[in-house]
Amino acid sequence: MMAELGPMITILLDAFWAAVAALGFAVLFNAPRRALPAILLAGALGHATHTALVMVGVSVEIAVLAGALLIGLLGEFFQRRMRIPRVVFTVPGVIPMVPGSLAFGAMEKLLGVLTAPPDVAAELLARASVDIIHTGFILMALAVGISVPILFRHQKPAV
Amino acid sequence: MDVNEFERGDSFPQSVGFRRSRREGEEGQPTRRLAYVELREIIGLSLWAGQMLLQNGASSLRTEETTHRIGTGLGCDWMDVIVTPDSLIVTATDGEDFRTKARRVVRLGANMGRITALSELGHAVAEGRADRAQVQARLRAIDAAPKDYNRWLVVFLVGLACAAFSRLFGGDWPVFGVTLVAASVAMFTRQELEKRYFNRYLVVATVAFIGGLLASGARLVTDAANVNIAIAATALLLVPGVPLINSAQDFIRGYTGNGLRRGMSGLLISLAIALGLVLAIQFAQVLTP
Repeated sequence: MMAELGPMITILLDAFWAAVAALGFAVLFNAPRRALPAILLAGALGHATHTALVMVGVSVEIAVLAGALLIGLLGEFFQRRMRIPRVVFTVPGVIPMVPGSLAFGAMEKLLGVLTAPPDVAAELLARASVDIIHTGFILMALAVGISVPILFRHQKPAV
Repeated sequence: MDVNEFERGDSFPQSVGFRRSRREGEEGQPTRRLAYVELREIIGLSLWAGQMLLQNGASSLRTEETTHRIGTGLGCDWMDVIVTPDSLIVTATDGEDFRTKARRVVRLGANMGRITALSELGHAVAEGRADRAQVQARLRAIDAAPKDYNRWLVVFLVGLACAAFSRLFGGDWPVFGVTLVAASVAMFTRQELEKRYFNRYLVVATVAFIGGLLASGARLVTDAANVNIAIAATALLLVPGVPLINSAQDFIRGYTGNGLRRGMSGLLISLAIALGLVLAIQFAQVLTP
C-alpha cells in the first residue's frame, strides 16, 4: 500500500512546492490577479510531469522538455480563453524547473579548481563541465518546450 | 525618458500644405486621408505603447505586432516597426505621406500586468473599439497604474518561492526557514536598490551577495549539502527568466539579433549572480571558520 502511495505523495508534494514557487514569480512579475490560478496550475502540472518522468527513469533533459511542452500548451490554451499573453503563464510556470542547484554546483566546483592541487583540480573541472552541459541542455529544453506550440500556429501574422 | 514627448507639439512642417495640394485626388495615386498632425499623434501613441511593451518585458514579435495594430487601427495605411531590445523605430504611412520617429527605451523590467493591458489595447484598436483619444487615455492609465501587489507581499511570496525551491532541491525544514528569511531580505534589498536606479548588474551582484551570505547562516543549523541548497535556492530570486525566455522566443521568430542580445544580458545577469555568491561564500568562510 505504502509502496504505491509513496511516489504519488512525492509527486503531489512536488506539485505543491512548484505552485508556491510559480506564485512567487507571478507576483514578482506583476501578473494579473485573474491569471494567478492558471499560473499555479501550469507551474504545478509542468513540474510534476517532469518529476514523474524522472522517477520512472527518463533523463532530466527529456523530462524538462515534456514539462515545458505541457506548460507551453497550457499557456496557449489560457491565452485564447482569457485573452492574456501566454508569456504571463509560461515564464512563472517554467521557473520551478530552472536547474538552480545544478548551476550552483558547477560554479562551486569551478571555484574549487582555483585552490585544489592539480590532480584534484582536473577532476573538479571535469565534473563542473558535466554540470554545465546539463544546465545548458536543461535550459534549452525549457525554452524549446514552451516555444513548440508557437511553431504550429497558422494564423495570419499582423505584420 | 519623457513618455509624453509626442504631446509637446513640435512645429508643424511647412512643406505639408504643398504636398497635400499636389497629391490629393490625383488619379491612380494613393490619397492621404489623415491630416499631418493626426499622423503625428498616431505615431506618438504607437511608439508609446511599443516603448512600454519593451520596458515591461514583451518579446520582439509582441512589441512589433501590438505597435503595428495600434498604428493601423488608428488610421494609418501601414506601420513599419523596427524593434531592438532597447530602441524602437516606427514609420507611419498614409498614402504617400509618412512620418518616422525613433525612441531609445531605457529602464527595462518585467511587468506582466502592463503587457496584458497593452496587448488588450492593441486588439481593441484593431477591432475598432478605441479611437485616438481613448487610446491616449488608456496608455496614460497603464503608464500610471501601480503594481497589483503590495511590496511587502512581494517580499514575502518571493521569499516563500525560494523556500519552496529548497524543498524541490531536497532540503530539510531548517533550510526551508533559513532560505525564507535570506530570500525575503534579499528581495527587500533588491527593491530598495532598484528604486535608486543603480546599475542592473551591480544590483544583481549585491543582492546575490547579501542573499548568499544570509543563506550561508544555514551552516549553523545543518550540514554542508543543505547549506549549498539554501544558497542555490536563495539566488534563484534573481534568475533572469524574462530575458532568457524572450531570447528563445526571439530566436524562434527570426529576430536573431535581438535573441542574441537578450541572451547575452541573461548570461551577464547569471555571471553577476555567480560573482555575488562567490564573494558571499568566501566571506562566510572567514566569518565562521
